[in-house]
Amino acid sequence: MPKKILIAEDEKNVILGVRTCLDAVGYQMEIVEDGEQALDAVRKDPPDLILLDLLMPNVDGFEVLKVVKGNDETRHIPIVVLTAKAEEEDRQRALDLGADDYMTKPFKPQELWDRLKKHLPEHDA
Amino acid sequence: MTLSKVPVPVNLDTVANNLADPVFIVNRDKEIAWLNKKATDLFYTSDEEARGAVITELTGITKLDTLLDDVFEQEAKLKCSYEEASVKVKRQDQRYFFKIAINPIIHEGELWGGLVQFTDVTRFHEMEKIKTDFVSIVSHEFRTPLTTIIVGVEMLKEGMLGDLTPRGKEVLEAIGADCERLSRLIDNLMELSRIESGTIYVEAEPADVTDLVQEAVRPLKFQAEKQGIELITDIAPNLPPVAADFNKAVWVMANLVGNAMRYTDPGGTITVRVRQRGKRLFFSVEDTGCGIPKEHQEKIFRKYVQVSGPGRKGTGGVGLGLAIAKDIVMAHGGEIWVDSEVGKGTTFTFTFPVYYGDESVKLPDSEPDGGK
Repeated sequence: MPKKILIAEDEKNVILGVRTCLDAVGYQMEIVEDGEQALDAVRKDPPDLILLDLLMPNVDGFEVLKVVKGNDETRHIPIVVLTAKAEEEDRQRALDLGADDYMTKPFKPQELWDRLKKHLPEHDA
Repeated sequence: MTLSKVPVPVNLDTVANNLADPVFIVNRDKEIAWLNKKATDLFYTSDEEARGAVITELTGITKLDTLLDDVFEQEAKLKCSYEEASVKVKRQDQRYFFKIAINPIIHEGELWGGLVQFTDVTRFHEMEKIKTDFVSIVSHEFRTPLTTIIVGVEMLKEGMLGDLTPRGKEVLEAIGADCERLSRLIDNLMELSRIESGTIYVEAEPADVTDLVQEAVRPLKFQAEKQGIELITDIAPNLPPVAADFNKAVWVMANLVGNAMRYTDPGGTITVRVRQRGKRLFFSVEDTGCGIPKEHQEKIFRKYVQVSGPGRKGTGGVGLGLAIAKDIVMAHGGEIWVDSEVGKGTTFTFTFPVYYGDESVKLPDSEPDGGK
């Protein structure tokens, strides 16, 4: 059963890039475009991993991290932050809130596959 | 030419009171003997109240204590102490930033006290902040579209989105290389902006030298092999740890090796060497590349300076890497320099202090000293 990744990203072109990358290795995907939708999606059908942008409308990525990692039922879900925010203080803040990994844009497909593999080792796509 | 004596129609107190910046004269006990009007205005005091008061107590700037001690202790050298760090003074919800200069005052051959001058750099601080924010926004705005381009190019290159003609592959390689260049430029601009705004955070901890070198060299090995360059590491045994911010030290080393790769032809060698001399470790990156002409060697650590090697055009850099490397090394209390001979090769060397404990390295303040 392929693993399901929730992609929370508001930039359409980046979504296309990420989707193309993940399609190539057979992950299942659900795409949401803001933090509020991301939290809804986690509540309704928890994914195996969340790929999370930080700057999103309504509820931002930091808030998503706070809620998901602050809840006993969802804190086990690995969250890989994928953001254009390259400042050290943002990275530290995200890690302090429980992010499992922090990737900055731009990235290469191989880097993304490696990180996902690290957090989803038994993916059998 | 004979200089005529020009009479001054005002007394010097009038001049001092019209200066735009606060000035104090203090004795060896740091008591205020004199201050100008700007100083009384800024610190909400009067001439009467201020005279005789200890300057640190009146101004609330604790940093002055150490600065004055520094000047008084090096009495024999008669050296001016110029403090680069700024200080905040909070009055009526306003924040000011100053640079402070202290000159010793000698009276009848003896150190009597000091002249303390403040220079208001508040506006400069505001401009720096605007610049840093701007670079940060620009960097962010560039990263997102670059992501789409890089991911697309990589997928196309790997043939995951269909077959390409050889010419198509060549064009994609060029796009990919230029994306890398843009990406590096964005990283460098941000790093430089942080350093210049004084917000660089250098957290010196004991760092293992072998780990540091390997971390820097590992990602470059594949590229070196591809270019037909031999990449050698030569680390003396049993070296102590250095006092360094690991990631920043790795950045410096990787930048120097990356530079060496750009200037070394296939069949050449790059050697990364680490040796200890006294309380310092010397890291060097030696290449068998084209070398740097003598006249360019001094300026290569300046910003936006690019030097083409003999018979070479630019190598795709923007001339920020070495400027940043220098800032990082100096923030650790180290030094960086270059030795080079045209046609033979280049060696960049930088030093980091050995880690003996917290006192082994003096780092600049990450935050300006507060008014209290």
